[in-house]
Amino acid sequence: MAAVNRDNEEEVKTDDGSPKIKPRPIVRLGIFLIAHSPVFSVVFSAAGVLALLLLPLLAKNTYISENALMPGSARSMLSNRDVSDGSKLVKDIKNFRLNHEGQGVEVQKLIGKYMSDMGAEFSYQKFHPEGNQFHPLHFFSGPDSYTLLENVSCASYGVNVAGIIRAPRGDGKESIVLVTPYDFINGGDYEDLSLGIVSSLFSLLSRVTWLSKDIIWLVADSRYGDYRPVAAWLTEYHSPSFKVSDLLKCDEQNTADNFRRAGTMAAALVLKVDGRSEKFEDTLSIFAEASNGQMPNLDLINVVNYLAVHRQGFYVKVEKVVSLLSSSWLKIFGEIFEAVGKLAHMLNPDWNFGIPAADYLEGSATLASSLYSQALGIPTGPHGAFRDYQVDAITLKVSPRFPPDSKTRQHDFFLRGARLLEGTIRSVNNLLEKFHQSFFLYMLTSPSKFISVGVYMIAFALLVAPLPMVAASLYIDGCKSLTNSTHNPTENFKSWKWLDAAKQVFTLHLLGFIVTLLPYFICQVPGQHSPTNRSIMWGTTSSSLLLITFVTMPGCSPFSSRLHGTNWAILKSVTISAAFIGLCLMSIINFATAEIGALLLVPTCLMAQPIKPALRSRRLKSLLGAFCSIVLLTIGFPVMFFAISKGLLGEGLVGLSLGGEFWTWLESLWAWKSATYLYIGMVHLPCWLLCLCILFHPS
Amino acid sequence: MAEEQKMKQLSRFWIWALSSIAFRLILISFPGNLNLSSRPEVSTPLTSIRRLAEGYWLKQASMSPYAGSMYHGSPLLLSVLGPLTVQRIKGQPSHLLCSLVFVIADILSAMLLRAIGQKLQMAYGLNARLLGFLKSSRDKVILPCGDIAALVYLWNPFTIVSCVGLSTSPIENLAVILALFGAVTRRVPLAAFGLVIATHLSLYPATLTIPIIFLLGYGLDAPPIKLFLQTRSVENEESSTSTVSKQAKLKQTTHLPFLWKTVAHFLFWVLLWSLYVLILCALSLNKYGGLEEMFKRTYGFILSIEDLSPNIGVFWYFFAEVFDFFRNFFLIVFHVNILFMLLPLAIRLKHRPCFLAFIYLAISSILKSYPSVGDSALYLSLWALFVNELLDMKFSFFLFCGYLGISLLSPVMHNLWIWRGTGNANFYFGNAIGYACFQIVFVVESVSAMLNHDRALKRSNSNHREVKS
Repeated sequence: MAAVNRDNEEEVKTDDGSPKIKPRPIVRLGIFLIAHSPVFSVVFSAAGVLALLLLPLLAKNTYISENALMPGSARSMLSNRDVSDGSKLVKDIKNFRLNHEGQGVEVQKLIGKYMSDMGAEFSYQKFHPEGNQFHPLHFFSGPDSYTLLENVSCASYGVNVAGIIRAPRGDGKESIVLVTPYDFINGGDYEDLSLGIVSSLFSLLSRVTWLSKDIIWLVADSRYGDYRPVAAWLTEYHSPSFKVSDLLKCDEQNTADNFRRAGTMAAALVLKVDGRSEKFEDTLSIFAEASNGQMPNLDLINVVNYLAVHRQGFYVKVEKVVSLLSSSWLKIFGEIFEAVGKLAHMLNPDWNFGIPAADYLEGSATLASSLYSQALGIPTGPHGAFRDYQVDAITLKVSPRFPPDSKTRQHDFFLRGARLLEGTIRSVNNLLEKFHQSFFLYMLTSPSKFISVGVYMIAFALLVAPLPMVAASLYIDGCKSLTNSTHNPTENFKSWKWLDAAKQVFTLHLLGFIVTLLPYFICQVPGQHSPTNRSIMWGTTSSSLLLITFVTMPGCSPFSSRLHGTNWAILKSVTISAAFIGLCLMSIINFATAEIGALLLVPTCLMAQPIKPALRSRRLKSLLGAFCSIVLLTIGFPVMFFAISKGLLGEGLVGLSLGGEFWTWLESLWAWKSATYLYIGMVHLPCWLLCLCILFHPS
Repeated sequence: MAEEQKMKQLSRFWIWALSSIAFRLILISFPGNLNLSSRPEVSTPLTSIRRLAEGYWLKQASMSPYAGSMYHGSPLLLSVLGPLTVQRIKGQPSHLLCSLVFVIADILSAMLLRAIGQKLQMAYGLNARLLGFLKSSRDKVILPCGDIAALVYLWNPFTIVSCVGLSTSPIENLAVILALFGAVTRRVPLAAFGLVIATHLSLYPATLTIPIIFLLGYGLDAPPIKLFLQTRSVENEESSTSTVSKQAKLKQTTHLPFLWKTVAHFLFWVLLWSLYVLILCALSLNKYGGLEEMFKRTYGFILSIEDLSPNIGVFWYFFAEVFDFFRNFFLIVFHVNILFMLLPLAIRLKHRPCFLAFIYLAISSILKSYPSVGDSALYLSLWALFVNELLDMKFSFFLFCGYLGISLLSPVMHNLWIWRGTGNANFYFGNAIGYACFQIVFVVESVSAMLNHDRALKRSNSNHREVKS
């Protein structure tokens, strides 16, 4: 009998959720959170947004984590002789170009000859400029999936020059790469300067004794963009194709059998000289974002930053969103935070978290740019190609403060630039292992300040925390209303009622998947089409697919009769769960995309409610809620959001050209294999559609 | 009317089953793009077809197939599948014939599952009627658990992935299901054959000996025997004679009759089949070290966890970290984990031997040394055999989301660790721990739902009695 009693008690507990036996504290906490989910979801979301705004405050100063690096501890060995070698090369190239107009290959031979004079091995490599093609299944495959193009024409191809200095102390198994993108046909004076800097350094490195890693100097042919030549060279370096390419027959130069290799790459530095600095000092901009928001190890940036600031006196900067610097609301936030910081400092002198409002503005502008370029998933420079092979690389863009033809300043500029590179190479040369000590997942708020993954994840976690809570509470509500409505307690599959809703959610996600793959087939349509036409084709096929789904599967449609329709609370709960899983996955693949996506998707999902009861009740609160959800859904449509963000950036775009713009933007995303494209198609779009279904739900 | 509906259901089942096969065939025809066979979730050192091909190549070159620690499977599988790995049809992806074999294995498994399910469904209906819950057929709908289980097996992404990803787990699963089918339909030699082959292929199904003996000894899954006795006593008091005829077979004692003869028959067949398999193995490995080598390289490899490459289990990480002089101790501790669970579960669930088999398979899939998603596919579809009993299972949605999230997260974490180099082993191992946790919750919830179901039967039975008396 006692056993029966116990069973009864257990049954009571499981049936209505209100426990008679006191459950464990963690269970009680869960029940409490679920019961008050509206309040907590508002609190958590607000806290998530606030935490995002607080991030510039929480940035820490960078520090060199790997002891072996020891930047700046050795005296620079670069002498005037080396610099004059570099100047000589620049002069030779300039003269040569004056005499022979438009003969690119000859310039490459000049550089090759220079390299061999230095005692380095050198080789040429031909590549075909086009390599990025959208293939839906190649998204996450490794970089060796580039297909060799058949029947290429000899009309357009590029030639890279690579020189290798063998390290006297090394075993030839490791190397450091220096890249200078250079347009052999019509390179400007500034590009010559970058060759000058690296050739000065190369002249030094060819005779130093401390080198333990081989040095590769790649002069990438940047006629067809910066990225492609570097990527082609890296592909050839790591996964050579043994098929004879047609390109080799194009020229009398035989480049096939003398491709030179050194060991695995420890680090790579891309040097560009570009434009004139607006500051009083020479400016050094660091670009670090590779594809899908991957960053190089923080130590590499630290070393460069340390040497540039403390040894060579460059003004170092990271890219920032300039328009944010003048935004008034951000300024207000900055001032508030400053005031709070001061107050805290007054209360307890140990609390030093306040920073001046101007610093806050700078930090958030930099952070916004960092977030933006990570979220886009497109590399910000040729260094992105290295990240695909797990090589840490950054692009250094130097802007001298003098006009390019001033000979007197040039010597000093070469000396400082080459010394910076020498110091960096010397540090990397000291490394015994790969870069692993410092962070890979971080965001910069200034060249010397960073936010680590542990901090910025908090903002995201707070933002998405309401999702599982609201899903659970809706699920419980939905189950209750179902058992009430059926009036048949003996036959309740109440534990399995979510299956119908799951079917709908799954169908729409499948639809999203198909829509994501559609551009591949649209690109196969013969004939030349403008982006606008293609986007129209895409739009019509997608919407007709959607209509077909609604017609053939009556459970999925928001306009179906009540009989077919599932309970909206359960549908919303499953939708929210799907959004939660999608966002969490995305936060691991590319944090910035997930953060921006969550800012859009979380409020949309939370606010989505059937509009009919709200209209019927005519109460202000429910009407307001319906209005909010409609507004959020309008903004949440990817094309709409694209238009709005364009408008915010000050580019007015209305009408049909918008579709074309959108198409081009997406094309750039998938050409760079950005996971953001997958996110938009397979997480954002289906969840948005489902919210729309909930909005028009006939309950 | 009912007939018509049944026909409709049947045709729907076949449509779905055929479409799943078509789906597999489409996926197979994708050449190399999916690259599933190199995923650690799909192919383990024991089930990878590439290793099998290597073993076959070694054997063709007159070397021991186990040379070089590449192949660790059965020599019989080598003789059956090996020739198929080298056969190429022009213009078709390599290993096409192997994939077709796996597809056929999947279809067979699904059909056997369906037959098992039909038996279980009949038994469920019979028991419910005996206990007096089911007066008419319209009182409570009995779900066609065989169809559901077969479809769950065919459409489970895990099954599809392990079938298309060329791991040998479809064949291992087929052997396990064959053993259960033999036991459920009381074909003793078949049951023994399935059990012996399954054990030979992957060792862990040896635990199934207990449920199969129960199945053969006590019969199919049924509510506890006490309930029948109570019902019977009530009805005796009323001296009703309507349903007594069936129950007359039940003895008056509280113990079920145990059919020793069948079990002895079964054990005899097990012995026979094992001898047969061992002789075949010995013949095929005659020149390369014989049976001793085979046991060392297959069972020894499973038990001593030599390969520490990452998989979705929890062992590789631990044994990569553990000090060498503790290794043997922890090996024993980890393997005894499975054995510890056997006896208590067998005592508690002896009236439901099929369910017991499901639980054993789920537990061994958690605590296996080289688990893959194919193992999960097996126990998930066995779970679907008990939809009637487990309708009130809690946390079903939570578990579904968990399995979904984890199985999507796993490739991402692997990518982060191996390809991008920004993560480390902890990322992937964290995922494996999460997976293990969800599996544990799943097993616990299934068992508690089953026990609750029995309790509910008992309670409604006693209510029934009170109403009557």
